[in-house]
Amino acid sequence: MDLIKKAIAWGSRKSPWVIHFNAGACNGCDIEVVDALTPRFDLERAGVIKQGSPRHADVLIVTGAVTLQVRDRLVQIYEQMPSPKFVIAVGACACSGGIFNGCYCVSGGVNTVIPVDAYVPGCAVRPETLIAAVTKLLDKVEAQTAAADGQLPPGPEAEPTPAPAAAAITDQDGGERHGK
Amino acid sequence: MSVLTALLKILIFPGFLFLSAYALALQFLDRKLYARLQSRQGPPWYQPVADFIKLIGKETLIPAQANQLMFRMLPAFCLAAMAVAFVYIPVWGRGAMFSFEGDMIVVLYFLAVPPLASFLAGWYSRSLFATVGATRTLTQMFAYEVPMFLALLAPTLLSGSWSVSGNMAFYATHPLLVLVNLPALVVTLIVSQCKLERTPFDAPEAETEIVSGPLVEYGGRYLAFFTFSKDCELVVVLSLFTAMFLPFSTGISGVDFLLYLVKTLAVMAVLCLLRATTARLRINQIVAFCWKYLAPTALLQIILNLVLREVFLI
Ligand code: SF4
Repeated sequence: MDLIKKAIAWGSRKSPWVIHFNAGACNGCDIEVVDALTPRFDLERAGVIKQGSPRHADVLIVTGAVTLQVRDRLVQIYEQMPSPKFVIAVGACACSGGIFNGCYCVSGGVNTVIPVDAYVPGCAVRPETLIAAVTKLLDKVEAQTAAADGQLPPGPEAEPTPAPAAAAITDQDGGERHGK
Repeated sequence: MSVLTALLKILIFPGFLFLSAYALALQFLDRKLYARLQSRQGPPWYQPVADFIKLIGKETLIPAQANQLMFRMLPAFCLAAMAVAFVYIPVWGRGAMFSFEGDMIVVLYFLAVPPLASFLAGWYSRSLFATVGATRTLTQMFAYEVPMFLALLAPTLLSGSWSVSGNMAFYATHPLLVLVNLPALVVTLIVSQCKLERTPFDAPEAETEIVSGPLVEYGGRYLAFFTFSKDCELVVVLSLFTAMFLPFSTGISGVDFLLYLVKTLAVMAVLCLLRATTARLRINQIVAFCWKYLAPTALLQIILNLVLREVFLI
């Protein structure tokens, strides 16, 4: 049993398939995400493949402050992914709302909608930062998977930790906003 | 042959176990060569194994609207068909594990199972993208089946045997006649790419338009077995191709096995080069290309072979 668990942990570590979702980014971060997937950085060395379908993916890369229009879709895409699944918030907007924080049409950082496992700051992020984040996340994942007793990795906490900025928005004028 | 040796042959070598190992190895070599052609490093050697293990360990999600039974059974069908087809193709030595007059037809029928399975997978997923992918798979199948059957028939007209092993034995005694089949060889090479749904013929999967085609709703271990059986399909197509069009053999089993590996790897490299240097065709362009150019060439080859057979009474 232990061996099987170790093997699966190793497999998850060595083959992260990513899906990229733009939740209202200015496209700056998206260009950098795509940049990180080009032959220049060659992420396939680490087993990364970009998948089109959330059912095939392990890592959801979200960019942008989540707009109210896209919020439900983001949740839907997250729920379509089979666990173990991980979310990386890429860019200042995805981490906390960034320059769109407090805007009437955004809900704030990604963590106001779905649980996030790694935050990559920057406006826009550098591909190197993104790659470093992915490898750090994967190291954590492998350790967790191997350690858990016959369970899938605990992954993200059920309750997303509210980002301070997001909380501030709710204070201003709650109701329509979805910051916790 | 006793039952035990037969079972050992079918399950271990040169049967299912070898097929699996070779399929994973070929997937790695394909990806590595593809990466090198794009001047990058490419995945490490254990990548296909890691992908497979990871998918096995993932949660299984089946869409509520999908047909549960078909959804679960199709990957198994696909894999089983490939394992059976492989039995009739010579790997170790000149003859296949089992052969009878007409086994080529059986292999061709089993080769029709993966596209049908992925069509049904897309259809029963009841998802819009999957349905579009499924219809494209079927359309593409109608485009390449005819040229493929015609082209594969050509060498057997000269050899007078509709068995893969019989064909191999005939060309072992008449090696020069292989040159006659060159047009059919080219047709089959292109059609193999089309059958395996690799670029430029990957319209059914087209991840930039329809997410990932018929398998869009598949995940976890069902996806693992589907992709694995597609890798097996690659091995079967390559093996059939080399047995029909490059049937050079020495008669010494070990040497022939090495020859088999060299030949399949060489054809693999050509297919990979094709994949790396072309862009995707639209589905109507694929159909037009197969019917306008490939089918007539294959037909000409058949006429040529019939005439040759009559004239020289081979
Ligand atoms: S972090 Fe900067 S570059 Fe990225 S989406 Fe926000 S504004 Fe654009």
